[in-house]
Amino acid sequence: MAKQRESLISAYHNYLVNNMLSPGFYVGVPDSATDFYFLADMMLPGEMTPPISARLYDNSGSFLVELKRNSIIKNPLHCVFETTPQGFRIVFPPDELVLDVNTQRFANGYLTRIKAKLRDSNGGLRIEPSYEGIQVYGEACLTLSAPFDRQKG
Amino acid sequence: MKRKERDSSSKDVWIFGDYRNYFQNRVTLQLIAKGRDLARNLGGKVTVLVLGEQVHQYAMEYVAHGADAVMVVDHPNLKDFQVETYTRIVASLVGNYRPDIFLAGATPFGREFFPRVAKRLKTGLSTDCIALEIDPENQLLLQTTPSFGGELLAEVITQNHRPQMATVHPGVFEEQPHDHQAIGRIIYPEVDIARDDRVQLVRSRPEQSKKGHLEDAPVVVVGGRGVSSKEQFQMLSELAELLGGEVGATRPAVLAGLAGEERLLGQTGKKVKPKLLITVGTSGALQYTTGIQGAETIIAINRDAQAPIFKMADLGLVGDARSILTLVLEKLRKRI
Repeated sequence: MAKQRESLISAYHNYLVNNMLSPGFYVGVPDSATDFYFLADMMLPGEMTPPISARLYDNSGSFLVELKRNSIIKNPLHCVFETTPQGFRIVFPPDELVLDVNTQRFANGYLTRIKAKLRDSNGGLRIEPSYEGIQVYGEACLTLSAPFDRQKG
Repeated sequence: MKRKERDSSSKDVWIFGDYRNYFQNRVTLQLIAKGRDLARNLGGKVTVLVLGEQVHQYAMEYVAHGADAVMVVDHPNLKDFQVETYTRIVASLVGNYRPDIFLAGATPFGREFFPRVAKRLKTGLSTDCIALEIDPENQLLLQTTPSFGGELLAEVITQNHRPQMATVHPGVFEEQPHDHQAIGRIIYPEVDIARDDRVQLVRSRPEQSKKGHLEDAPVVVVGGRGVSSKEQFQMLSELAELLGGEVGATRPAVLAGLAGEERLLGQTGKKVKPKLLITVGTSGALQYTTGIQGAETIIAINRDAQAPIFKMADLGLVGDARSILTLVLEKLRKRI
């Protein structure tokens, strides 16, 4: 068999991760209360914003911010959430970009590109920009076939 | 592929994803729908092969229209349809994955590119097919294509070589509705994507047309050999405009300079499926009628009462085209 990479693809919305389209993915253990995770959950037909949940750390391993479905729920270092024409971004003051989520609309679907360089609480690199999207490292699931909560349950 | 490879090929049906303009993309969607029928009969899957740069949205669209999988080769080198490079890559992928059937639209690019792929794979190719079915007895693809200048319909099989390859006119098959809920597989094969620089695309300029899409028009008025002058053809244009439709032409009318090649209907032109088709001065030769078989209602005008076009017309008017058009236009101008 020829060498290949493979993923699932949604007709409605996909992320670009590891140079592949994917309906949803996560890095780390989603919902962890104490460690890094990044969950780019499935966006279902009718929804227009990809749901991102994450627990993010800075380069030195200090807890930075926690997001649940695009809303900041913990923010000890006072990061700023900014909406953009095609999504949102989180900035560590004064102007250090933590995360940029950009969703492009096609005639019949959506594609989200994420820009971020993210580390876990041990300083290990977990996500970095790559070509059009991101490259992820370490424990991860690169293809969700159902929304995370449904898949988990 | 060489002989006796039939048993070693998969049961999958591949479609070449031709997306460079609206109609090329539509024929790809139509082939996916037909491919699903064929694959169901074979017990295989439908895969669309997409080459290009930034082709994400097409991959998603093909899944939404019924593809089980999309195989994507996405690279800046593939931004332009460069036939040598595409032929090499596609032939290499087909050789590796061995689909049973490989289909493409009979578009300008499909016509240039698919014979080269078939040659490289040492298999057959049926061009401009108007029907595709699986023979239940031997699971072979029955490829129906007009031949001998459209005088005959030939049923072609590719018995020993794989894949079984065919090109199909836009509009022959119906596409499936777009399904937002669909999930498919996306495959990124490892393949050499170096460009072949013997031929380089210097400039590309899309054809500009002020007119609408002939293939989508609800009304089409067609002129044939019996429309003998530019003035008469202008009457057809006015009739089409008054009815909210488009003008088509047969090969003799195009050769006579009465209409452009983009208006050509039939075996080597476009296929239309209007609610109403008015065909004027056309005899009804097979090479033309293969392009209008999808019309819901056909009105034929011809001075020859024995013209074959009357056999497929719902309403036939025997008489001089100019006289009939003059009367019809007069009535319509008053009503609108």
